Amino acid sequence: MFDYPIFEMPFIGHRLLFAFDAILHVFISHGAAVGGSIILVLSQWLAIKNNDAKLDALSYKILFTFFILATAVGALTGIGIWIHINIINPAAIGALLRVFFWKWLIEWIVFNVEMILLLWLFLIWKKHSLGTPGKKKVYKLLVSYAVASWFTMAIITAILGFMMTPGNWLVSYFPAKPDYLASLLNPSWFPSLGFRTFWSIAWAGSMAMVLSYFFTRDDLELRKKAMRLYGAVLLGCIPFIIAFGAWYYAQFPQAAKELFWMGMVTRRFAGNPEYATYVTVILSALVLLGAITFYTKPKQAPLFLGIIMLIGSMGLIGGFERVREFVRKPYIIYDYMYANGVRVADVPYLNKTGYLKHAAFVPPEFREVTDENRLVAGKYLYQMQCRYCHTVNGINSVKARTKGMSEEAIYHRIGSLNSPATPFMPPFTGTDDERKALAAYLASLAEQTPANVYKQKLDEVSK
Amino acid sequence: MTDFRIIPGDIPLPLPTMGLEFMEPFFHGLLIVAWVVHILFINVLLGASLASVYFNSKGHKEKNPIFDRVGYLLTTPVTISENMGALWGVAPLLLVSILLTPLFYSSSILISPHWLHIIYGNVVAFLLSYLYKYTWHTLEHRKTLHIFIGVVGVALFYTLPLAFMSNVQLAMTPTTWTYTTNFWDALLRPDTFFRLVHFYLATFAVTGVFMLVYGMYKRRSKDEVDRQAGIVLTRTGKTWFIIPTALNFFVGPLVLFSFPDYGIEAFFANGYFWGIILTVVLALYALYQLLKDFFNDDIPDRRVWTVVAVMVIAIISMASLRHGMRMGLVKPVLEASHAKTELFQKESMAAFEEAKTKPKTYTQGDTYPGKTMAEKHGCLACHSERVKIVGPSYRDIAAKGYSPEQIVELVYQPKPDNWPGYMPMPPMPQVPAEDIKVIAEWINSLK
Repeated sequence: MFDYPIFEMPFIGHRLLFAFDAILHVFISHGAAVGGSIILVLSQWLAIKNNDAKLDALSYKILFTFFILATAVGALTGIGIWIHINIINPAAIGALLRVFFWKWLIEWIVFNVEMILLLWLFLIWKKHSLGTPGKKKVYKLLVSYAVASWFTMAIITAILGFMMTPGNWLVSYFPAKPDYLASLLNPSWFPSLGFRTFWSIAWAGSMAMVLSYFFTRDDLELRKKAMRLYGAVLLGCIPFIIAFGAWYYAQFPQAAKELFWMGMVTRRFAGNPEYATYVTVILSALVLLGAITFYTKPKQAPLFLGIIMLIGSMGLIGGFERVREFVRKPYIIYDYMYANGVRVADVPYLNKTGYLKHAAFVPPEFREVTDENRLVAGKYLYQMQCRYCHTVNGINSVKARTKGMSEEAIYHRIGSLNSPATPFMPPFTGTDDERKALAAYLASLAEQTPANVYKQKLDEVSK
Repeated sequence: MTDFRIIPGDIPLPLPTMGLEFMEPFFHGLLIVAWVVHILFINVLLGASLASVYFNSKGHKEKNPIFDRVGYLLTTPVTISENMGALWGVAPLLLVSILLTPLFYSSSILISPHWLHIIYGNVVAFLLSYLYKYTWHTLEHRKTLHIFIGVVGVALFYTLPLAFMSNVQLAMTPTTWTYTTNFWDALLRPDTFFRLVHFYLATFAVTGVFMLVYGMYKRRSKDEVDRQAGIVLTRTGKTWFIIPTALNFFVGPLVLFSFPDYGIEAFFANGYFWGIILTVVLALYALYQLLKDFFNDDIPDRRVWTVVAVMVIAIISMASLRHGMRMGLVKPVLEASHAKTELFQKESMAAFEEAKTKPKTYTQGDTYPGKTMAEKHGCLACHSERVKIVGPSYRDIAAKGYSPEQIVELVYQPKPDNWPGYMPMPPMPQVPAEDIKVIAEWINSLK
């Protein structure tokens, strides 16, 4: 956006940089914290009920692993999502914070409770053995921890839901007046929360099964008990995941539904939406194969099946997050702000007065396009409007996308970015001169190979 | 008149004050308090992790189990304060993000990608600190390796303030921004340097106070090694508090006078001078209290709690001074930013209303329904009537003599082999077949 400085992530691009942190966070927060705490409540309940010291000891080992993952990686990458979007799309996170400030503050307070409970739980667990009154306290702490971690997810899910289905959240555009309650109770909040809750539990179940495999190498009876328990949890979640998933999908805006298949298969295979079905079926089959074998034959099932179960789950989760991010395009906040930080309502004004004119961090000499500064102005426009999704030479590179196109062709293409050919792209924003400058810059990229630079210099010298 | 070269715009949404007058001062108060909690945990994290490695290697070298125990005991506050420190950093981040949006976001981006170090560097340091803690007994006979793990983790923790300090210092001093300012520019400035020195010294002082309290509890332990470790903690705590605090009396003024002049003027004009006096008096009193019992290993509990209470007040006072200096520095640019944003919104809204009244005009004429349809579905982005743009011109397509049905099929499943040398066309399944037939008629009319 034009109000802020430009940070460019070369080669891997912003999307992959962000996805790396975000997906790490999702795997760990949903598995080790939200789903993991629910799983541990179940196995502790069973251990206390049956006075089962072995199951209690196994639960502690799983808790220890989850504790390390959740505190060192889960919590920090969660803050990391914020830090990343701060520098990638400040306009979007700035807007979200203004609308969701109080919910975020409450989330932070609950997050505090969650962390304190986890640290406390972890420090006292071993001090109280089964059958002592202290164990009841440990169990109560564990239940509170599970409720707190679920609650933090519930609030963050509201924000994610808001980004795709904001509902009637803006009472008036100028002066801006948000409806804080409507933004919270947006249409996709409950279904997406249900969807996330159940797949978190299932995912934690698969993690617990693989961990149990390692922790029960010399106790096959305990392994059988653990696999039966966690396997039943995983399999039992599946109908709920499907039901909530369908309800969630029904809340998608129409345009988002139309992008669904492309979101699943990426643009390269846009002509083969059936690939999405194949991949989903294969990944689900991997999960089911692992889960069912571990459930029915806990003593014989090899580790290999557990690993493919994890891979299948991670594929499905990663795929879901990708699709959710993709179908929201061209917006970052639906109907309010485009993915590149331009507010929809500002487009006519920017088209009239120019985009660069308002760019605070572009030196004044480049805010008006002239014959001399055309290429540099074009580069600034690329950096401010395109680099959210594109790179110059790397992933989704503009150089590859404009290969073989003349400057005129690029100019035409820029004019209809948000067209049915590429409905997921925001429109170009700016004056006709700026559009020409961007076209000139993009066309120049093809010529700027090292060999060409030397050839040009050679031409100049020969003259 | 101070020169602000760059004035970023603000987020055009209201502060979430819920219409309550006192909410904005409350936000500032909450920011100070949450930040103090955050920084105290961070101080203990940095100080205790370093002390733990120090006593670990001292115990190893001198074959002294008491020092080894001190090192081990210190890993518990490290675990707690690394978690709580990160957690209590979130609230200040949340508040700074709404109160100082244009400044803090801009400085974060200017020092990127290094700003991301506070995540990735932190994750690695965290994992190393857990590894260090939970291998204390398993690596008992491989101490060199164990100490090495500790040293790497501590070194990594000590690099995190570099990213933080450059960011906050840059956010506070918008007069220093240029179009090319980067992380190293911000880090290698005298003002950032003095603040870092002040911060690291304060880290040892705060850890010193923490050790006094921790040592006080351990001295009561029934376990003899723990009791001895408590005495070591008490002795170390005194030294760690006294020396850095004394040094900071000299570093403090260097920090104060390295800010831009207009900030210092606002600082004194707003009466913060008395805050400095208060902080200095409190710190001197704490020093006096400790010096009285400097050679007494059984320092009375009351003395310890007095030092804690006095220092907590001193730190809150210092944090308020810091916030006051910051607000004085950023106020002119924040006001300009708000005014700029309001003007932009007003003009943008006028253009938006105007655009709503105008019907959408097609650039290439409206004579043929097929052409309008092609425009509507975005075909003209890549195809034109006569000229090759991205795809072939419609006249060239017409020359191939496809039937409308064939064209429908080709739109749904393009065959790039038919057009070598062109960019392959993506399938367009979203265009209804009836519309394509209308477009096809127009294409074929161009023959």
